[in-house]
Amino acid sequence: MRRFTIALCCLLAFCGVPRADELGTADSSATDSLGWSDQWTMSRAGGASQWFEIRGTGNRNNPLRRKLEKTFDGDQIFVRFQLRYDAASIDTPDDGNGEFFVLWLDENDGGDSAGHNGGVPNVGIHVNGKTNAFMARFSSSSESFGDVPLQGDRVYNVLACLSRSNPGSGHAFDQLSVWIDPKITDAAKPAIRCTSKDAIRTVNWIGFSSGQKTEPSDRISVSELSLAATWLESFGLKPDVKLVRDPAPPPPPAVVSTTPTVDFANDVYPILSQHCFGCHSGDDPESGLRLDHYDELLNHVSPREAGSSPLVLLVESKDPDKQMPPPDGTAKPLSPDQIAVLRRWIDEGVTWDHQQLPTPILKSDHWAFQPITLPEITLPEPPSSNRHDQARTPVDSFIFRKQESLGVMPADSADWPTLQRRIALDLTGLPPSAFPGLDQATSHEQLDQWIDQLLSSQAYAERWGRFWLDLARWAESNGHQHNRPRPHAWRYRDYIIDSFRTDKPYDLFILEQIAGDELPGSSQSLAATGFLAAARYSGNELDKEIQRNDILVDVVNTTAQTFLGMTMECAQCHTHKFDPITIRDYYRFQAFFTRGQPGNLLLTKDAPDAKLWIDARQQLFDSVHTRLVDNKRRSGVPDPVLVIPKSVVSGMNSKERQAFQDLEDAIATAPQVWGWSGADSETTVAPHEMRWPLPHDRAALGKQKTYLRIRGDVKAVGPEVRPGWPAAFGPTPGSVSSRTDLAEWLVSRDNPLTARVWVNRIWQWHFGRGIVETSGDFGTQGTPPTHPELLDWLAGELIESGWSTRHIHRLILRSSTYRQSATFSQSNFDVDPECKTIWRWVPRRLESEAIRDSILAVAGQLDRTAGGPSVADDNDISSFRRSVYLQQQRERIPESLTLFDSPPALSTCSRRRTSTVSLQPLYLLNSDFMQSAGIAFADRLRQSTDKDQSAAVAVRLALGRDATDDEIARLNEFLDQNSIESMCLALLNLSEFLYMN
Amino acid sequence: MPMTKNHRNWIDRRSFLYGSGLGVGAMAFQSLACASEAKPNVVHHTATASSVIVLFMSGGPSQVDTFDPKPDLDRLEGKDVPESIAATIPKIKRAGIKNLMRSPWAFHEHGDSGIPVSELFPCVANHVDDLCVIRSMQHDNPVHGPGECVALTGTAAGNRPSIGSWSLYGLGTANENLPAFIAMNLHTDGMQFPQGAGWGSGFLPSGFQGTIVDPSTGIRHVTMPPQTTDQQRMDQLELIRWFNDRHLKQSGDLSELKARLDSYETAFRMQTSAPDLFDLAGETQQTQDLYQLENPQSKTVGKACLLARRMVERGVRFVQVRVGGWDAHGNIKANHSKMASRTDGPIAGLLSDLKQRDLLKSTLVVWAGEFGRTPTMEGRGNGRDHSPAGYTTWMAGGGVKGGQIIGATDALGYVAVERPVSPHDFHATILHALGIDANRLTYNHHGRDEVPTVFGGESIQEIFG
Repeated sequence: MRRFTIALCCLLAFCGVPRADELGTADSSATDSLGWSDQWTMSRAGGASQWFEIRGTGNRNNPLRRKLEKTFDGDQIFVRFQLRYDAASIDTPDDGNGEFFVLWLDENDGGDSAGHNGGVPNVGIHVNGKTNAFMARFSSSSESFGDVPLQGDRVYNVLACLSRSNPGSGHAFDQLSVWIDPKITDAAKPAIRCTSKDAIRTVNWIGFSSGQKTEPSDRISVSELSLAATWLESFGLKPDVKLVRDPAPPPPPAVVSTTPTVDFANDVYPILSQHCFGCHSGDDPESGLRLDHYDELLNHVSPREAGSSPLVLLVESKDPDKQMPPPDGTAKPLSPDQIAVLRRWIDEGVTWDHQQLPTPILKSDHWAFQPITLPEITLPEPPSSNRHDQARTPVDSFIFRKQESLGVMPADSADWPTLQRRIALDLTGLPPSAFPGLDQATSHEQLDQWIDQLLSSQAYAERWGRFWLDLARWAESNGHQHNRPRPHAWRYRDYIIDSFRTDKPYDLFILEQIAGDELPGSSQSLAATGFLAAARYSGNELDKEIQRNDILVDVVNTTAQTFLGMTMECAQCHTHKFDPITIRDYYRFQAFFTRGQPGNLLLTKDAPDAKLWIDARQQLFDSVHTRLVDNKRRSGVPDPVLVIPKSVVSGMNSKERQAFQDLEDAIATAPQVWGWSGADSETTVAPHEMRWPLPHDRAALGKQKTYLRIRGDVKAVGPEVRPGWPAAFGPTPGSVSSRTDLAEWLVSRDNPLTARVWVNRIWQWHFGRGIVETSGDFGTQGTPPTHPELLDWLAGELIESGWSTRHIHRLILRSSTYRQSATFSQSNFDVDPECKTIWRWVPRRLESEAIRDSILAVAGQLDRTAGGPSVADDNDISSFRRSVYLQQQRERIPESLTLFDSPPALSTCSRRRTSTVSLQPLYLLNSDFMQSAGIAFADRLRQSTDKDQSAAVAVRLALGRDATDDEIARLNEFLDQNSIESMCLALLNLSEFLYMN
Repeated sequence: MPMTKNHRNWIDRRSFLYGSGLGVGAMAFQSLACASEAKPNVVHHTATASSVIVLFMSGGPSQVDTFDPKPDLDRLEGKDVPESIAATIPKIKRAGIKNLMRSPWAFHEHGDSGIPVSELFPCVANHVDDLCVIRSMQHDNPVHGPGECVALTGTAAGNRPSIGSWSLYGLGTANENLPAFIAMNLHTDGMQFPQGAGWGSGFLPSGFQGTIVDPSTGIRHVTMPPQTTDQQRMDQLELIRWFNDRHLKQSGDLSELKARLDSYETAFRMQTSAPDLFDLAGETQQTQDLYQLENPQSKTVGKACLLARRMVERGVRFVQVRVGGWDAHGNIKANHSKMASRTDGPIAGLLSDLKQRDLLKSTLVVWAGEFGRTPTMEGRGNGRDHSPAGYTTWMAGGGVKGGQIIGATDALGYVAVERPVSPHDFHATILHALGIDANRLTYNHHGRDEVPTVFGGESIQEIFG
């Protein structure tokens, strides 16, 4: 008699709904009056479960088995059940006994005593050496055990997955994986795996077997046997088969082709040429409006919308001030027929005869676009000066020559303490006192050696990497109003710092940042793509086309300006008014980036776990999303039905939410970076938090095309364009398509800008002003170089040195020019008031990071921990790490940084400004940060010296030099009435402390 | 050019200790905001305003529920937008054309001008004869963040200077003891993160950016640490001055270093003048009542509005009060009622107070959001979606001819059809009131002479009567 029944919860659709058999002891035929009506009523909240209790017979027996509704012929099937042994039932194998109990999946039933072995998958308990262990097997020769020994009085959740290594009907179910007490994140980590050459080819029956080792006194309980087709389903999560993503990605805008009824050459050209070209053609057209140039003409029409085309509005206008051709001019007005032709031509898509009217290639004789020419290095002839003796690197010869031609004399070398402090601050953003054991240099050679040491230090990389982060408009949040954090963005910052520390060749540095995801194998550098991904990204944008285009515009502008020193943004709407960049050039450049987007990229190349977590999370999310959308639609909400991710999570049931949270937690532990991945690159993308994220659909991303957007309007779609660089730099070969191709062109010998722009930036960061002052604009509106030959010579040195940034640093820092004092000369000033010839060192204020870091260093508070996630700076004194590690969330950049002109990380920043406002002294005198620094500085003095020496030591620490006698006297006078803390705070406010002198 | 102050005794103990150097405009200092880079004041024509208060209603107040009554919505409730109007709606997401929704509020005509205002704003309604209501604002960005950037900087990217920064750049400061451009962000607990670009300086020197002020705590770091006495601070400043003078001489008289010297002087005075600004104890009960400071709903905005008046009184050029929370996607009735209860009394109080102090004529008061809302219902939630195609703003004071309406939307309030006004026009109008021609105020950035209204704004001349 059956005392218990089992709940076979069949989750597969074809298995039908869960069903509980009748439960009871009564033999209904024996008693008419006593019995049960209907099934047990069970609480929805649970609280009761149904178990089978199984005993052995001492022989092979199949006490429980069940047929599937339909033969299973898919490629993978999950079976799950709960298993419990009474502790008293368990015999240890030492007794020569042990336990045996399995679940099998087979083609046939085979009857009560069938063996279900030899290619039949078994999952259960068997003797393994001296233990009873969980086992998976197909036969005794293909048998595997897990590490988990069987314990009594304990419920195990056993999950098995049977699958085909070779998918498709008729192939063997030859792979068996078993999990014991699995978590949703364990998909890639089964406890047992087993394979077999020979195995069943369909599944029809599932049952339990006991054997000779299973005794009549054994108490084995099983329950909750269920089937599932997917991993998620085996956890009771039921993803809808039909997945609807939110919102559906828009189909790429297509330029519909209709059969034209208007012929450009015969119908349109005569009208334009007779009525318009008189004024509106050629290089200097009336009002700058040119109609014989296809790219420019496109800006005056709206293809397929004649009615809203400015050109049509003008020729149809009755207003004599607007009407074209002008009524008082020589050209005749257009006839209604001619206007009709123009209208049809526009409505049919604006065809063009490129043979008849080819698009002229813009050429430019602007200096920056000419090839780099390597100048000869010559020094001024004696006896005009003693400059020969002063020249320390070729840099000096260029500087001296210009100075001599203007009659300007360079300043003498600065004193050693000044130079040592200048070099320390310039290279590391820290004062010399931050380098324990450093002796006062007394020769140029000693400084040279020290420079070499600093150039490979972490401190150098932390300062110079920050300059690069300005260019990359790098931040750790999306910006715009939701401004969600990017918790993995810090890895790009660390990539940059590492690159500077190791003097990564600049050409490779570019390649990795532009195309790190495309690079093969171990050279892949996903962290580097944080450069592209640092673009802002609006989470509240429902229009996916606008959302994507905004990002692309940001990427194009930043890339062009950072590497080429070109301001391309004007050409987004119209051909550049000054530089040889057309609107077509702009969108061709954009086309390099169109088939990619930002996201969290997994860094571990082999991360099967994380991939499975991400897939499971996505499926679970999508299924709940679909359910919620369907519910809303059913309740009458009109399309488009929009459900934000947050609502999806709150719409999950408790089981779903738990699984979702487990998956999210697991995914968050996987190393990843906020980077850029192209449709063709081998990357795994983890989800990111966003109100309306870009759809993550690699296939759709791969189909993205690039169109010229007329007047920069996303909705005004012009012709499709292929990737290419601006035509003024020569033709783009047809084979060019990838970002790798773009990066290779950027550093090719044909490109005159990349090397010039980079050496100029290095020069700017050393001297405060570039050889080209507008370091982000080498176009015709930028300033010309003060020393063009020097610029080219440095650019040549960069390339010849294998793109070594360190080499350029050395050339500059070893020069006499760099080592001048700040001594003022009225006669020089009269000739060159702006000091463009660099006749002295011009003191300049430290950047915000160097100010904060120097204060911390002098106060003895600086925490030099390198790398890792950024640290919060909520109340100024929560972290004393270097400023480059403070959290850089847009709109929330720490006050200590923004107050001293840190950029807001919205667009690329080539050069910081120096503002001088009264809020700065308030901060430097009154803030908690400064109070804390003043106290720490004073403590440091007390611990290291006697009170009568504290003034001298304080000056040494803060200013890197010995105090003069009158300074000592002045400070001691101050200390008569005031505390050491008060003096320390004052010293940290000195101009000399805050300036690089 | 910067005045040199070499001949003046920098340290004057009395002026430091008793803050006597507070006279508004007493000294022809260069801009506090940017001592080293400020241009001389630019005046292209006679200014009608010397200060601006922008009341920025973030989230998008609905035009058809406030200042732009559309009786047709009552008739067409539940219907779709007729094709004739639907065809004119710019192709932007969120521009729903199904299920028109009537306004939950009735409109009444007010004042001599008879300008209709909905029952949402019973207090501001009393001031309509001072308001110039612009019903035809229009742009094309339906998203809060970029929309706010468009409304306050002219472009969605938010990388250009804010209108406040341009104003300050053109005008310079009138009181070097206070920041000349102050921004207060209120009720920011909602979805719309305040956009830094709205008070940022873009490519202008950062000294022209707005200073963020919390109405309850004032300007940051303006208070000396409690353990520091005036005497100690005096001694510190003298010591700093002693060293900095030497450094200045060694550095060849850099103007930037001179500006640093000045900034310490100003900072010290600010320590006195800023707390005074935020100390409302001197305001009469009557004045405090005017701003509804006792009402828990309105006290936050009320305090900011009162501070705005005090700032303007002290020569602050540009005050921006941002009130978040107008984003009524669902249940517009509850949302806008709450927002009105927060703002209506204080704004009316500000207008009254400015007027009674004769400050309204020199203070341009601007009320605007980043966009308006659709006349249709969004989903089924009794709310409205974002709509930049036609929305309402108003200006008052500062030479504005009150009691007039400029522009019009279509019969449903969806699209501006008469005299469309772009945010660039709006900015040019603000600058015009300040005596600045937006096309002639230039700043050289990367070799280009940039102007405030790069996308072609023209001031709305009829606003000034």
